[in-house]
Amino acid sequence: METDTQTPAKTRSAFRIVYDFLSGFHVATVTLLLLLVLTWLATLEQIDAGLYPTLNKYFSWKSPWLIPELNGKKVPIILPGGYYVSALLLINMTLGGIIRIRKGWKQAGNLISHFGIVFMLLGGGVAHHFSERGNMAIYEGQTSNVAEDFHEYVVELAESKEGVIGKIHVIRGRFLTGLEAGNPREFRFGDLPLSLEISGYLGNCQPESKLINAPRAGELVVDGYYLRELDSHVETERNIAGCYARVVNADGSKSDPFILWGGQFHPYTVNVNGRNFTIDMRKRLWPMPFDVKLDKFTADFHPGTSRPAKFISDVRRVENGREAEVRIQMNEPMRYEGFTFFQASYGPSDAKPGDEMYSVFEIVRNPADHWPEYSLYVVAFGMLVTFLTKLGGHLAAASRKRKNAA
Amino acid sequence: MQRKNQVWGKWVVAALALGALGVVFVNMLVDNMPKGAPQKVEGYVPWEKETLEVVESLPLQDGGRIKPFSTYAGFKMLQLHGARSMKVEGKGGETFKLKPTEWLMDTLFRPEFAVDLPTFRVDNSDVLKAISVESKGRRDRYSYDEIQPGIQKLVELAQSYEPIEKKQRDPMQQQVIDLAYNVRNYESLLGYFSFARRGVELRGSGGETEADKRADLSAVMSAAPQLMGEIQAANREKREVEARLQDLLQQVLEAANFSKFGMFVLPPKNASDENWLSAGNAIMSVMTMETKDPEAAITDIKALETAVRSVSVSEKEFRKHFAEFKESVEKRAESRGELSRIGMEVSYFKRDYFLNAMIFFLLGSLCALAMWGLGVGKAGKILSWATLGFSVLGAVYCVTAIVIRCLIMHRPPVGNLYDTIIFIGATGVIFSLLVEWMNRQRFALGLAPILGLALIILARRYEVGDAGDHLDPLVAVLDSNFWLATHVITITLGYSAGLLAAMLSCGYVLMRGLNLDAGDKNLRRSLSKAVYGCICLTVFLSLVGTVLGGIWANYSWGRFWGWDPKENGALMIVLWTLAILHARIGGLINEWGLHLASLFTACIVAFSWWHVNFLGVGLHNYGFTTGKGTIWQFYGVMMLFILFGAVAMIVEHYDKRAKAVAKPKAAVKGLEA
Repeated sequence: METDTQTPAKTRSAFRIVYDFLSGFHVATVTLLLLLVLTWLATLEQIDAGLYPTLNKYFSWKSPWLIPELNGKKVPIILPGGYYVSALLLINMTLGGIIRIRKGWKQAGNLISHFGIVFMLLGGGVAHHFSERGNMAIYEGQTSNVAEDFHEYVVELAESKEGVIGKIHVIRGRFLTGLEAGNPREFRFGDLPLSLEISGYLGNCQPESKLINAPRAGELVVDGYYLRELDSHVETERNIAGCYARVVNADGSKSDPFILWGGQFHPYTVNVNGRNFTIDMRKRLWPMPFDVKLDKFTADFHPGTSRPAKFISDVRRVENGREAEVRIQMNEPMRYEGFTFFQASYGPSDAKPGDEMYSVFEIVRNPADHWPEYSLYVVAFGMLVTFLTKLGGHLAAASRKRKNAA
Repeated sequence: MQRKNQVWGKWVVAALALGALGVVFVNMLVDNMPKGAPQKVEGYVPWEKETLEVVESLPLQDGGRIKPFSTYAGFKMLQLHGARSMKVEGKGGETFKLKPTEWLMDTLFRPEFAVDLPTFRVDNSDVLKAISVESKGRRDRYSYDEIQPGIQKLVELAQSYEPIEKKQRDPMQQQVIDLAYNVRNYESLLGYFSFARRGVELRGSGGETEADKRADLSAVMSAAPQLMGEIQAANREKREVEARLQDLLQQVLEAANFSKFGMFVLPPKNASDENWLSAGNAIMSVMTMETKDPEAAITDIKALETAVRSVSVSEKEFRKHFAEFKESVEKRAESRGELSRIGMEVSYFKRDYFLNAMIFFLLGSLCALAMWGLGVGKAGKILSWATLGFSVLGAVYCVTAIVIRCLIMHRPPVGNLYDTIIFIGATGVIFSLLVEWMNRQRFALGLAPILGLALIILARRYEVGDAGDHLDPLVAVLDSNFWLATHVITITLGYSAGLLAAMLSCGYVLMRGLNLDAGDKNLRRSLSKAVYGCICLTVFLSLVGTVLGGIWANYSWGRFWGWDPKENGALMIVLWTLAILHARIGGLINEWGLHLASLFTACIVAFSWWHVNFLGVGLHNYGFTTGKGTIWQFYGVMMLFILFGAVAMIVEHYDKRAKAVAKPKAAVKGLEA
């Protein structure tokens, strides 16, 4: 039945327009498609560029937009960064999929699923910003209570008294990156009689003798050596960082510059006012609240092959004098006090029966460790409800139709 | 007139589909069949059935598990010959078809015939030119004797190509390396029992007038303590070991080296020792006096010597001695709990369930095409029942085979790429039949056998290309039956549902684009609902599977998401199907849009399932290159469907507009009249 009555167009407030836009299906569809394209391009680009740089380029908050590269060639399109697209999707899903969605039994499944996915995305955000990852390598019979970060290089300064290292002062990696040559920064350490001036930080480099390979880009030469920048490895954890440093005394005088390099075996030592200090560059270590001793490592292979069957580390966890025996193996990590220890690797790779083995654990501290699991239960339940509701409706309709036809 | 066009159109599409099926099928057959006339092997007589039955179930260790001789032979033959059978012209000009067990038995026990068998598949005759061997055609199969004159050059060339990084090698260089490896592998089998055939020569034993005597290796092994004592005495006394003894030991060492690799057929006595021994291992364990039970090793070697030598006496004699040896091996294997699945595996490969399934799916596909061509009516109804029957039979064969594989492997059905193909094939057929049960349009019914046939053909092609035993155990990180049964199964079912959605849309696009349905809106709506349902199912399975994978990764490696290409591929399926659903619910796409998007789902599934394996990065990387061209052909076909659909959609749109404009005009004309 037609009517010629026209309802006057409602004028929407600016807030409403924005709300409708952000909670609409257009934004949902476009953000999903953008994430699809970004994921696809990141998958292809990581082949040449490596995983870590690709992730930083595509999904870091520092990357609001990007130009993809395939086979080393730039693709002439500009895409928004994945972090911001995900954030927009999160807003869209919260506004549209939870707040604006029609409430009723028919939509119950969708509502639950959206809630679960919002929770999952939040978990991803928490893990992205607050989780830490490192590794610990221990030989059989040895004990350790520190994990080494995969990527972050730091500068450590400590006083050495009669061969005993005192409190270690750490300059975190985020303060070092971006310190180019000619752009030094001074770091002070409370009551210590010295500070450090650092410049010329390079993410991957090696000390080079100027006699063997003369500097080409005006690098600072120290005692006949300079830091030669190298291309980043595809596996960025293999990069070795370096920088130049000077000791700044309390009176403002500065020492000659010296090189700090992540691959050096011994720290640089300096004497200030009769006190000895060591200065070192290395991957950041983070301490555990307990000790881990490796009692035994076992590597089993499928008989007659080099195909791994089992890697097992029998460890002893020691905390405040209390000991606990734990077995860590593939798919069975040790979770304790917010840390998770995973069986990651072992060595030496050419070890023969009876040789001393070491085990490598990947250590993760992630406040959102179990969030994805919980969100999965919510999402799966919601989707199952939706799917079964729809299927039931469809079957009932088909059955009615057949009855009517008969 | 429209009805006539519709019927013609259906037959044209059915004929085109039949042609496409035929091309794929013939291509597969041609690819696997030997070229030209059967190879002539002078005096060749096949093994008797009774003998084959004795040998095929001999347990041996390979690839980290205990398997029957016939399985080992099957994959060795695939690796070298590129097929599971070969034809030869033997005694009296008669043609014989050799199966893997016969081929390997010839290789091991009758090398005089084996060297003439067309064992090596060479796909590029340039490889043969490079080693100065005369080629038969661009692609053919060659015997060891035919390649033999160029082996020295082949090895030299392979050694010069090996330092080149695999990615940088051209196809010819890679094929040279592959052929060199295959020849070396074959030589290790060919010479495996040379110790039993020849024994050792006791130099100087015949004096000046007579030929030197020969001795069994087992006899030399029995004398090992004395021989070792003599060497130790010589060392103590700082004198040289007697030249004849040195010569003898050198012969023993060479014989042991020839039979050191290839087949590990002797179960160790120590229950805690997992590694079975080859004949060479057994010889050396006695000669170096490492074994605590030399008698057992000597008995094994003696049994092998007796069996191998009896080939020249009579086949019956060989059968008798080999059965004795096998019985001894089986007893030991049984006591170690390693014999229980051998019989089942022999029967699994013998019954060739997937070949049977393929035949039923082929028959089902033919019925389906005829059914679509004939439309409704009595003949159509009969054909629809026939299609259903063949599809169900095919599916039963597939499911039976998958269940048997699970029992053999002691793990859930999907653990490697081959598993995914057969699993998707079986579940795709079952999903299609379920869709048919719900919408009764005979559309999904017809797709069921076609999907099954296509995937079984893919599985067979992949098996030939990979030539690796797909029943072998998994690496440590994958060895979790819980996660294999949850994450892997869910993801694979997601692939299956996504592919089915795309296949249904292929039919929709053809049907509507060519107006084969005469504008039947009910049929169109019903198909759209089926596709929408499949997309929903894909979202559900892919999302749950992806998150389950993340949780598994979190347990194994400490991270929920590692941006591994396989993980990304699964996420892409989730994102794409979610985008389709949101676009559909939001009214951004109509029925055409839904089907065009559904067609593209197939490309994303193919990328996630297959293409990421070629990228060479990530934890799920299988490192294979077989089928790289096929994946692009698949993308091409799907893009053609999308293009066709898009053009049809535009034509239909303008057609409707033209009709809408014409109607009012006609009405106005009517008024004027």
